[in-house]
Amino acid sequence: MKSEILYPGAFPMVRVELAEGEHIKAESGAMVACSPTIDIESKMEGGFLGALSRKFLTGEKFFFQTLRASRGAGEVLLAPTVPGEIVVLDLDGVSEYMVQKDGFLAGADGVTIDSQMQSMSRGLLGGEGFFILKMSGKGMLLLNSFGAVHKIELKPAQEYIVDNSHLVAWSTTTSYNIEKATSGWVASFTSGEGFVCRFRGPGLVFIQSRNPGGFGAWVRQFIPVTE
Amino acid sequence: MSFQPNALCFGDEFSATGLPCLVHVEGHGLTMTFLSDSDASERRSESVPFAELTVSAGGLDHDQLVATWTGPTGQRTLYLKNPDVIRAFRQAAPDHLTIPLERAAEQVRQVRQRRRIVWTIVGGALLASVLGLWFGSDLLVELAVDRIPIEWERKLGESAYRDFLARQEVMKEGPAVAAVTEMTHRLTDQIPENPYRFEITIVKSDVVNAFALPGGYIVVFTGLMKKAERPEEVAGVLAHELNHVLQRHGLERIVKQLGFVAVLSIVLGNPPGLGGVMKQLGVELMTLKFGRAQETEADLTGLQLLYRAKIDPSGMITFFQRLAEKDEGRVEWLSTHPMSAARAERLKIELDLLPRREPVPFSFEWRTIREK
Ligand SMILES: [Zn+2]
Repeated sequence: MKSEILYPGAFPMVRVELAEGEHIKAESGAMVACSPTIDIESKMEGGFLGALSRKFLTGEKFFFQTLRASRGAGEVLLAPTVPGEIVVLDLDGVSEYMVQKDGFLAGADGVTIDSQMQSMSRGLLGGEGFFILKMSGKGMLLLNSFGAVHKIELKPAQEYIVDNSHLVAWSTTTSYNIEKATSGWVASFTSGEGFVCRFRGPGLVFIQSRNPGGFGAWVRQFIPVTE
Repeated sequence: MSFQPNALCFGDEFSATGLPCLVHVEGHGLTMTFLSDSDASERRSESVPFAELTVSAGGLDHDQLVATWTGPTGQRTLYLKNPDVIRAFRQAAPDHLTIPLERAAEQVRQVRQRRRIVWTIVGGALLASVLGLWFGSDLLVELAVDRIPIEWERKLGESAYRDFLARQEVMKEGPAVAAVTEMTHRLTDQIPENPYRFEITIVKSDVVNAFALPGGYIVVFTGLMKKAERPEEVAGVLAHELNHVLQRHGLERIVKQLGFVAVLSIVLGNPPGLGGVMKQLGVELMTLKFGRAQETEADLTGLQLLYRAKIDPSGMITFFQRLAEKDEGRVEWLSTHPMSAARAERLKIELDLLPRREPVPFSFEWRTIREK
């Protein structure tokens, strides 16, 4: 499996080459185009409510699709919904990452995706719900962001404070506390919610340079209110 | 043999991701094997005696074993989560590490237990509220429905109504339409302070059915009209359907379902399919199955409405009885309006309690309409 990022910048697309028999799991809706040798397996059988209840009963993910090169080698073009960068990570079998739900674009067959309940405090305060994705295993992992991706490298015991809504992914060797931004910080963070994560190294934290919620609020003010 | 790392090692000269390494527990301490940066086939090892280690629990869920020491090249931090390695470590570790190891293990247990307790409580509360909304607490549903303006209800019903009619052959004029219009007027004239503008459409179909959508949209199938021997029977069904609207039964069902969906959407963040749920709801409006209590309410209020409109209420009763007899034809009305012999019986008793009143017949000839 090989990947190449096309048009790097705000509107990138990624080309993934699949050998015969290989498959890639992608966020549903990420597929832009593919070779005729690729089969798209959607996991939405039984309609939304059916998929939803299956998810609750079996933990099966309902927002992914599998693109499989079942009839020969081929390529797939993938793109995220929002404008922003795509990052390629190569999982080595030991490193694991937590990825917020909208940050996942695609993962190779060797990558294990677990939908996990995240900690109570983040579930309540983070505004992304209680499910978060845990990526482990070996192989290529594609993440996407809203805006540009910035990588923060933390040495052991090194700390860094990140606004909740800017988080994309972080290593499981890090730890964090949710804190309420005190009045001194509020001005310096774009989110008005005032909750931040104090991360502690070692490990990586990927953040996005734009906040989807903040952008949504900004756009809304220009939408004329009609009856 | 391929290199199968089982831990991550952090140090000043390593990248922040940590360097994957293969940890072996030996009698004197730990040995880490790394792949060389320059040549993937070349390996190099580092050893550290137990005496130099300090251990604690760490990582995102505080479930990894963290060992730190100062090596010849500076501070080293090792993150272990492989259970086999951790077990071997605990067995081989000398006395001075036993207490910190136990403390770390205790911390992991505590974190797991705390999580379990929190999630059990949350899960239980969630389940209780879902079940509560789903089954019981009709009062809560009624309170919620009371707050929904008629205008919203009208919009909701109208979109489903137009959607449905677009796919059907509609009877626009003729004696049947005039007859149903006359029946409707007789009935609606007796509704004081009616906030709805009722719209009734006859659909050409052999299916024996009639249904009401929230907001006052009623559909009657020609199949149902053919099955009626007297116009009072059709008027009985209309009176029943009008009361589903007036009592806002459809809205009550939707609020019950939305309550469930709303809980789910909070749990899942903003699920990509919330739009799908709304669409699904639109479809379910058509096949909306009312509850037994709602049917009884629509029956009784329907009967009173017929009585006030001076339409013979016995038509409603005989029609229900005839529909309940299992016979030929696709009687779909029964699938959305569960019928039982008890229903007709109940209406009979209710009718006997009312003082007798001379009904006023309709102006049209039913037989000619029915034959057409
Ligand atoms: Zn009914």
